[in-house]
Amino acid sequence: MRMRLPGITVAVALVLAACGSATSGGTSTSSSSYQGKTINLGAILSLTGAGGVYGPSSRKGMDLAVEKINNSGGVNGAKLALDTEDDASDKAQSAQVAQRLIQQGQLLALLGPTLSNSAVAVHPLAESFKIPILAVSTTGIHIVPDCNYPKTDPCKYVFRDSLGEEAAIPANIKVYSQKAHPKTGVLLVANDDKFSSDGGKIVQGAVGQYGIQLLDTVQFSKTTADFAPPVTRAVQKNPDVIFITSLGGIPAKIMIEARKQGFTGQFLGGNGFNTAVVSKQAGAAGKGAQSGSGWYINNTFPSNAAFVKAYRDKYGSDPDQFAAQGYAGILILADSAKRANLTFTDTAGDRTRLRDAMEKVNIDTPLGRFQFTSTHDVKQTIWIIQMDGAGGFTLVTSVSPS
Amino acid sequence: MTQQLLNAIFIGSIYALFAVGYTLVFGVLDVLNLAHSAVFMLGAVITYSLVALHGVPFIFAALVAVLVCGLLGLVIEFVALRPLRRRNAPPISALISTIGLALIFVAIVEQATPGTLFSWLWQDGANSVRFPTGAVPNPTYHVAGLTLEGTKLGILATSVVLMLVLGYVIRFTQVGRALRAVAENRRAATLLGIDVDRIFASTLFLSSALGGLAGLLFGLALSDISPYIGRDQVELKGLAVIVLGGMGSIPGAVVGGYLLGLIEVLAFVRFGSNVEAGVAFAALFLMLVLRPQGLFGARLKERL
Repeated sequence: MRMRLPGITVAVALVLAACGSATSGGTSTSSSSYQGKTINLGAILSLTGAGGVYGPSSRKGMDLAVEKINNSGGVNGAKLALDTEDDASDKAQSAQVAQRLIQQGQLLALLGPTLSNSAVAVHPLAESFKIPILAVSTTGIHIVPDCNYPKTDPCKYVFRDSLGEEAAIPANIKVYSQKAHPKTGVLLVANDDKFSSDGGKIVQGAVGQYGIQLLDTVQFSKTTADFAPPVTRAVQKNPDVIFITSLGGIPAKIMIEARKQGFTGQFLGGNGFNTAVVSKQAGAAGKGAQSGSGWYINNTFPSNAAFVKAYRDKYGSDPDQFAAQGYAGILILADSAKRANLTFTDTAGDRTRLRDAMEKVNIDTPLGRFQFTSTHDVKQTIWIIQMDGAGGFTLVTSVSPS
Repeated sequence: MTQQLLNAIFIGSIYALFAVGYTLVFGVLDVLNLAHSAVFMLGAVITYSLVALHGVPFIFAALVAVLVCGLLGLVIEFVALRPLRRRNAPPISALISTIGLALIFVAIVEQATPGTLFSWLWQDGANSVRFPTGAVPNPTYHVAGLTLEGTKLGILATSVVLMLVLGYVIRFTQVGRALRAVAENRRAATLLGIDVDRIFASTLFLSSALGGLAGLLFGLALSDISPYIGRDQVELKGLAVIVLGGMGSIPGAVVGGYLLGLIEVLAFVRFGSNVEAGVAFAALFLMLVLRPQGLFGARLKERL
């Protein structure tokens, strides 16, 4: 065995050299012909685990967009291919999946991950490998542009099309306060998940200016089995409002338990509320629960009605915010790829060209006319929505971007 | 505070019921059956499936689910345990094979969506669901500022009665004596003419039926039925309970269950955050240091 090693090394070196020259040859003859090529994208989503109430929606939205684009001629003739992987809502697994996707493939860009908690691990990875990553559902603090927080220098390759909680939660509290003038509130917050604890901080920072006194902040773990004890503590304070910043099935469980224990006030929350699964789970107990959303099903933006119809035709159910953001994510990447003059031979160069093109995106999506801000974030209408008690949402009002 | 004590008793009943099945297998077979948490989950999932997908009344659904879980116990015995025992494999092998079965059970449920092979059993993939409103009558009483739910009172009654019955069976019946004999000394029991394999199979049946029952009660009381309720909510806690109570001791598992419920809720009330799990496991640690055999554990002398 030992004798054969040098031979193998030489062979590998030769192959590498051959590849190297082939690559450089390809670059020099770069043409803008996309015809017959494939644009490979990867998505890291939480299809199982706590985020399993959101990831599948994002996936459906993305698959729909890929299908639509490929059926109408692709991207300048190139086909889109999407490889979706499950991170089981686990931060470490999310990072592993990202690493594998980045290193194994000829992927041009990534989408995801579903949860802010995982984004903290995945986004810096994408940044260091210089591959564009578009978050389609992460709403926590320090997602863009400072993905390497506490380092503040902006990440160049990280973008998001999802409305941040820093905009959505205060807008929601403002709308409710102006209508109902609540005096007191209790915050129920999961403190071992970034999305949830970020939401909690935003609530704590926002209530004061609307004259709401926070009587108590009840923290719990996202793995809590029985929500009776935390809810008992909150309900016994007799607040006008219970704020819930948590994800997965937890908001629904809290609402059900609180109604059982006789709470008659208002539930206010965040992005964790905004999927049909949570609304359905909460059922009658969730009726009226109000949150700020990046999308609303009956919005009148030009491309929204077509999206909703195509989604219903394909899946036989209504899309939710996560589906719309996933769908928009693919549109954004496809439009950027169209303008990026890709070579399809120099992957690293193509990734950077795609990134540059993403900064200039300006297209119609179900989320509205879409452009990234200078910090790669969204600036869009905030839809204040309420659960309808039957698995859907109704519109309270919309807030224009400030 | 009284409401919080009630909360502790309700969750304690479920811990106790789960742990009794867990400890029963350990006591008799000397094997930690880590598929127990998956059976717990299936108890809830099967009941839900019968009620929500097939329109079966709750009580019948629950009975069928408990029976099916008992049969799953036999699957565990025949697939994961008996073949290894035949080959005199060390207990660790049995532990690993039960983990394998647990993973399979969980995967079957979490992959089941409409149009897949198991969609008759489950259609919600990784999501958490709850029983349809009105499927289970749940009168709620508000007495002296306390909230008393019908389902939770039912759970308390069911658990207590079942644990008493189990205690009686094990202490005073022929089967119970055989069970204890096998737990005490497998070889001597065989020599006395006890069919050890049959005792093992009945133990697994009984234990899994109890586990399934605990699961469906959990799903009912906490409005949470998902492929992960076993793994996330009771697997480790069940272990903590049986160590607290004494490995293999049934009264120990009962007392340990209520104790863990109480410790968790008190820790929550006192420290107010998610230290409750930490406090529970700190209590476990203290127990291991001060009384390694647990509350009711007799050092290898007598079990069950």
